[in-house]
Amino acid sequence: MLKIKNLHVNAAGRPVLKGLSLEMKAGEVHAIMGPNGSGKSTLSYVLAGRDGYEVTDGTVEFMGQDLLSMEPEDRAALGLFLAFQYPVEIPGVSTTTFLKTALNAIRKKRGEKELEPAAFLKLQKQKIQQLGMDPEMMKRGVNVGFSGGEKKRNEVLQMAMLAPKLAIMDETDSGLDIDALKVVSEGVNALRGPETSFLVITHYQRLLDYIKPDIVHVLANGKIQKTGGPELALLLEEKGYADFYDATEAA
Amino acid sequence: MTAAANKESFMAQAPQVAAALPWLADADALQNDKAAGWMKALRSTGAEAFSQTGLPTLAWEGWQYTNLRALTPAKFRYSAEPVKFDAAKIPSPLLGAHRVVLVNGQYQPKLSSLPEHVTVMSLMEAADKNIAGIEEQLVTLGDLGKNPMTALNAAYLRDGFVLVVAKNRDVAEPIEVVFYNAGRDAAVYPRVMYRLGENAGCTVIERHCGEGAYFANIYASIVLESASRMRFYRFQEESEAGLHASNTVVQQQKGSSFEGFSLGMGAKLARQEFRLQLIDRAISSSIGGTYLMKGQQSHDFTVLADHFEPDGKSVQHFKGVVDDQARAVYQGKIHVRRAAQKTDGYQSHHALLLSPTAEASAKPELEIYADDVKCSHGATAGQLNPEAIFYLRSRGIPHDLARSLMVESFLGGAIEKVSYEPVRDIYFARVAAWLAGRGA
Repeated sequence: MLKIKNLHVNAAGRPVLKGLSLEMKAGEVHAIMGPNGSGKSTLSYVLAGRDGYEVTDGTVEFMGQDLLSMEPEDRAALGLFLAFQYPVEIPGVSTTTFLKTALNAIRKKRGEKELEPAAFLKLQKQKIQQLGMDPEMMKRGVNVGFSGGEKKRNEVLQMAMLAPKLAIMDETDSGLDIDALKVVSEGVNALRGPETSFLVITHYQRLLDYIKPDIVHVLANGKIQKTGGPELALLLEEKGYADFYDATEAA
Repeated sequence: MTAAANKESFMAQAPQVAAALPWLADADALQNDKAAGWMKALRSTGAEAFSQTGLPTLAWEGWQYTNLRALTPAKFRYSAEPVKFDAAKIPSPLLGAHRVVLVNGQYQPKLSSLPEHVTVMSLMEAADKNIAGIEEQLVTLGDLGKNPMTALNAAYLRDGFVLVVAKNRDVAEPIEVVFYNAGRDAAVYPRVMYRLGENAGCTVIERHCGEGAYFANIYASIVLESASRMRFYRFQEESEAGLHASNTVVQQQKGSSFEGFSLGMGAKLARQEFRLQLIDRAISSSIGGTYLMKGQQSHDFTVLADHFEPDGKSVQHFKGVVDDQARAVYQGKIHVRRAAQKTDGYQSHHALLLSPTAEASAKPELEIYADDVKCSHGATAGQLNPEAIFYLRSRGIPHDLARSLMVESFLGGAIEKVSYEPVRDIYFARVAAWLAGRGA
């Protein structure tokens, strides 16, 4: 489903990813753990298609297509979703309008019929209830005046509405208290299935107590340094990332 | 004061400006008509004031940002002859059935129809009949030496109409006023007057449109008698080659309320001035607007809210977008006179620049002589937030649609203030059409 091969990326002229390779199958949950500055956020942004990153080498194949040559909106239509570490506030555009526009744009691109307003509202209501969100928030500008937890919940709501094939979660745990973390994780777990994969990017092991990964990767110095099962996350929690810095220095 | 006395005093003040004279070339001939003496005197006063200033230049106070180079007098000529036009070209009504149609400023009774309790007649007819208040309302023009556009309009005082709403009558259906300009390098100088009797209410929709090249210099005066209520919505959709200068003076009496909004999207060059005069107590006055400028267009909103007496509230709320090499100007002032205690004044202007060569200028001003007032203002100019655009695109929304959504939501902040929903919807539709036309 996702094949990243030897990905090299510069940000602001400086190499950040230096030969990252990663392969995911449908339905899998992968975690990428790494220290600050290891390239975690760069990876998520490059996959989503944000400006400002220069791919100098490597390939990314998603659903059998060359992901890097596509516009961000086309990646979304193909089933890619990035849950932002810092969701953006958009005053004046209500969350409902935003969700409806996004969902229908994706459906249109996929050759599906746009949802009637009533069908859309029904779907939205159902997802809101599942996430324990206040329906009033849907009338407000996207993320405007939302708390940190509400913003992350809103990311999960968008994910639930758009039903992606691959959801990249960029430090979704940052800025969340334990209750919010539980709610967000439950939302994510509810979306797990044989057709939906997750790439969970995090600094801390804590999130992985709630979203159990199948595979854990350690990202340091722009490369995957080690890949293992969930036990790898526990090991990192105990020992930190120091060993991987050493490994890179030596390499 | 007689015309002769005026002449002497003007001559004593300043010499004539050579560039002003071609603008007045058709004014003398007009004086052969049967207008009342005081109207003729007013024309002379206007012509003389204009002859001493000409059009404002960039050195004029209040004209620093709008360059009138496009106005070449030799090109635009006034004619009092009945204008020939193709009635099929006059746009069909936006809403409802009631409307007043002007072609090149000339009132067209055959194309007009009115609701009950509303009287409309041409300016000349109103002057002949000496409709109550007309002379006073016409003569009170402010300092013509400082308002050359008004002076020039006065020099050609003839066209336009008077609309009166009877007191205690609330006219539910909106009245559409179409200012259609038939082009052919015409200079048109309509003078329009709206007068709402005590405790009357109405909604007016002004549409300024046309084809080809022309110069429309409109002077509108609105008198709101005590406790009357007016909603005034304008669509400035002049032709691409058209030039638009309008002065709208709203004189509000005790307890009256005015809600104005104007969309500026037409014309090569446009300036809309609004002067809100809150001359008594407990008056509420709001004026808002939005502009959509592209290509080489230029638009100027210049607004004064003038508080004379206590307990008044005025609001100015403007937002606009500028693309390509277009320019936009907002000059807003709140003037609070010494007696106007407990004034509540607010003004804001926000511009969105869609291209690196687009320009927006803002001059917010507060001039306050009373000590117990609440006045505030805010002004910004910015670009679309690229982070927000990426966020929308990452959710599958195409780039063009993401930009349109952002622009619509930005302007929505101003348009939402329009309380009359059918017109609000049309404003939103105009924005959507503009965005679709530019390919976002």
